[in-house]
Amino acid sequence: MNAFSYLDLLNLLGPETILVLTSLAALFVDLGALRDQPLPRRWLAGGGVTALGGLLAILWLTNVTAQANLAHGILVVDPLTQLVKVVLVAMLLFTVALSLRAEFTEHVGEYFCLLLLATVGMMFLVSSEDVLTIFVALELTSLSLYILTAFNKRSLVSAEAGLKYFLFGGVAAAFTLFGLSLIYGLAGSTNLREIATNLAGKGTDPLLMVALIMVVMGFGFKIAAVPFHLWAPDAYQGAPTPAAALIASGSKVASFFVFAKVMALGFAGIEGNGAWRQFAPGWVPVLATLAVASMLLGNLAAIAQSSVKRLLAYSAIAHAGYMLLGLLAMSNPHRRADGMAALVYYITTYGLTTIGAFGVVQIVERTGGDSLENFAGFSRRAPLVAVCLMVFMLSLAGIPPLAGFFGKFYLFTAAAGAEPGNLGLLWLVIFAIAMSAVSLYYYLQVLKRAFVAAPAEAAIAPVVSFMERLTLALLALAVVVLGALPAWLLGPIADAIKAAGF
Amino acid sequence: MQTVFFYVFAALTVLCALMVVANPFSRNPVTSAMFLVLTIVSLAGLFVQLHAFFLAAVQVLVYAGAVMVLFLFVIMLLDLKEEERRKVRKFAVIAGGLAVAIIAVLFCTAIGQTTAGIGVQPILEGGTAALGELLFKHYLLPFEILSVLLLVAMVGVILLSKKDLK
Amino acid sequence: MMNWFNNLSPTSQFVLFSALKVVPAVLVMLFIVAYIVLVERRLCAFIQDRVGPNRAGPLGLLQPMADAVKAFLKEDFMPAHVRPVYYWLAPALVMIPSLLTLAVIPFGSQLGSQKMVVADLNVGILYTFGIVSLGVYGIVLAGYAANSKYPFMGGIRASAQMISYEVAMGLSVIPLFLLVGDLNLSTVIGDQTHGLFSWLVFRQPLAFAIFLCAAFAETNRTPFDLPEAEQELAGGYNVEYSSMKFALFFMGEYANMIAASAMMVTLFFGGWTLPFFGLDQPAATVLGGLVHIGIFLAKLLVLLVLFIWVRWMWPRFRYDQLMNLGWKGLVPLALANIVVTATWLWLKS
Repeated sequence: MNAFSYLDLLNLLGPETILVLTSLAALFVDLGALRDQPLPRRWLAGGGVTALGGLLAILWLTNVTAQANLAHGILVVDPLTQLVKVVLVAMLLFTVALSLRAEFTEHVGEYFCLLLLATVGMMFLVSSEDVLTIFVALELTSLSLYILTAFNKRSLVSAEAGLKYFLFGGVAAAFTLFGLSLIYGLAGSTNLREIATNLAGKGTDPLLMVALIMVVMGFGFKIAAVPFHLWAPDAYQGAPTPAAALIASGSKVASFFVFAKVMALGFAGIEGNGAWRQFAPGWVPVLATLAVASMLLGNLAAIAQSSVKRLLAYSAIAHAGYMLLGLLAMSNPHRRADGMAALVYYITTYGLTTIGAFGVVQIVERTGGDSLENFAGFSRRAPLVAVCLMVFMLSLAGIPPLAGFFGKFYLFTAAAGAEPGNLGLLWLVIFAIAMSAVSLYYYLQVLKRAFVAAPAEAAIAPVVSFMERLTLALLALAVVVLGALPAWLLGPIADAIKAAGF
Repeated sequence: MQTVFFYVFAALTVLCALMVVANPFSRNPVTSAMFLVLTIVSLAGLFVQLHAFFLAAVQVLVYAGAVMVLFLFVIMLLDLKEEERRKVRKFAVIAGGLAVAIIAVLFCTAIGQTTAGIGVQPILEGGTAALGELLFKHYLLPFEILSVLLLVAMVGVILLSKKDLK
Repeated sequence: MMNWFNNLSPTSQFVLFSALKVVPAVLVMLFIVAYIVLVERRLCAFIQDRVGPNRAGPLGLLQPMADAVKAFLKEDFMPAHVRPVYYWLAPALVMIPSLLTLAVIPFGSQLGSQKMVVADLNVGILYTFGIVSLGVYGIVLAGYAANSKYPFMGGIRASAQMISYEVAMGLSVIPLFLLVGDLNLSTVIGDQTHGLFSWLVFRQPLAFAIFLCAAFAETNRTPFDLPEAEQELAGGYNVEYSSMKFALFFMGEYANMIAASAMMVTLFFGGWTLPFFGLDQPAATVLGGLVHIGIFLAKLLVLLVLFIWVRWMWPRFRYDQLMNLGWKGLVPLALANIVVTATWLWLKS
């Protein structure tokens, strides 16, 4: 048991510490000083405190270079984790910027506190290679998100969504814990790399496979992959829109990153084979099945939706399917870096796009609701926001030259090249491409309403605050720029992966 | 002797846990809660066999002694009535039974065919000093994350359960 | 005889000795329960300038027997509206934990080669708290089983009160273990054998004050006897009980008092030791062992009288006052005490 100095720990955990302190500050400022102030002022103050903390954390992350592996992987800090943490905090900041005009609650301090603590959970999730810490951080994230989902106490839908999310999450967490304890029993370690070493001789032990599937269940729930997706549509629809944006972006980024680490590092050696007609048991065929199911169900179910939030939820499920391809690409140890780079690029751009999409939905909701009818003639009522919506939707569909296209491109090439020579996962890639073609239909449905359909007689122009305009414009700009110049993001990612020695 | 005790406590744990959710004699929530207490106590018995005395004592103290009393408290305050028996649909029973059977078969074969794990030497012999050493040095970070988690739970509970005045 | 004994396996010897310790300990406890009731009645009469029960036997010494006979002979009436299983279970659940608590209390040094403690656990105090925390079930279930208004309110009050004060109680003893460095109760006693002022009550007076308050609340004694407040609840959780079942509740309360006092004697007052005449070392002779047991019982009696004395001197708290005292008074104080003690130890090291 190697001890480490507490000062080192504090130094490595600077950003997380800042965010935890900020969450307490947000709580104190709101409950202590601003209780009798008008609501808009409280939102502004809380958001200001949160943004300040987030900016400080980003500053710390970008300026303090640290690389350490404390106590057998309980805390792993390297350039890659720092990069992903920057992405997470950036997503938090965008979410905060979109919440400033919210009216769904009077508990402003608690709201920002929970947003911050959820982000802290995600950051811990990212920087750990120990299943114990991973599980604890997973629970921290989940618990904060359950509460955020049920945050709108005036709405029954929100409460129902929170309960559903919580119940599914509880069962999934139980399965994960069971699986992890079986793995601990089999491997005798909680460190991912040690698990892989100790499991090396076991081959495809049946109990190990059971444990593997149980672990996959828990993470599959977090990333909303079919068949563990049932909570997602309700949660996305019922949760306050900014909270849904964080669930769809930050939570997904962190979960996918840690999922990839658990699979690629912890289960290295029992990949199996998912290639066409070369099936061998392991985690690759399991994830391939999940990917196919998610892409199929997500894309087909999205077509039938009339609520845009639900549509985005099913689109998120489909995207989880695509992203699983990135994990599959990491099954080959020599190509692991490529898969990781593609995955991080994809989840980052996807997260930014989704936050933007939810931001637009939030604005449309103010004119009555989030069904497709409410989008009718939106371009004439709020041209700038509608243009942003177009960028987001086309990026989600994967139209060049937007970020979504390059994300898919890198992801699919990484997956196809995972087994050089025999193009093992090509069947999956072809399926994914076909499914993204299907997805174009429902994204265009939304755009058709917004740009082609005539507005309803009584339609009113939505109120759009300056902050929202700015945020949405920034996000749209980021999606365009990262699509046009993918190297701006891919370069740092590749450097970080190399430096982290992944 | 050890194995006998293990099987007794394990069977007790599983049986009581079953009675919590599917008690054929009573649909009374208080009865379920009391069986949960028994489950917890038999789990503590299993901990004792692993020489984790501290864990056993804390298990009884925290879960049986405090958490479950609060459960009872809430059940009584809410005045929950006996749950009505739901009408069981044939299809649901068949599907559920099939799923349970498949999982059971899967588990039994898996456990039957598996080879023994690496196995871990127990680091602790129930001592509180060693446990504290581990918790506050090696596992300090998870420990602290858990304290943040409790903060989240506290904020959440107050938020969700408090009546909005307006 | 000795041959037969030596032929037994170590396990059987252990079982035999344990039984030999358990049976007298329980019997003594029940005896004290019976007579502490009499003491209470005589003492309260004295405090209120009355005579008290003095008819049965000399000085009323046979009164407990008379009470017992009465309890047995009364009709064991079960009201129609109660929930039967819990109605039967509750009185037993009140009595059992206080008996189990005794298992880890060292009630003497040694007789011959046998240590006078039933189970010398290395997590002794945690075991005690675990068992004590189960005591609340008896009262809660009694309130629930009665299925009528006042007992129910008594049960609810009891559960809230006992949980609240358990927190304070648990926190109050942590400084002791910081000082002693072990959870084993024999070690705790061993640490108090360096003169009178090594008794933990003098080294940690605040901890003792908090523990004492919490003990009053845990045993539902005045000034915290809200679960059975006659004036408000017509007697509280045990209203629907009669005969022997009622007697079990009655005895349970006193057994809990004894358990709490035994814990206080062990934790704060040096257990079976006295700092004079070399009585703080384990006894070498059987007589010395008996003297140690006597010392323990004497200390126990003093604390029990304190319980009784307080009951007849103090009015009852109001419910919100009780909760305020627990959560806003005792818990923060106990936490502060932990921090201060830890800091002091850290500075000293």
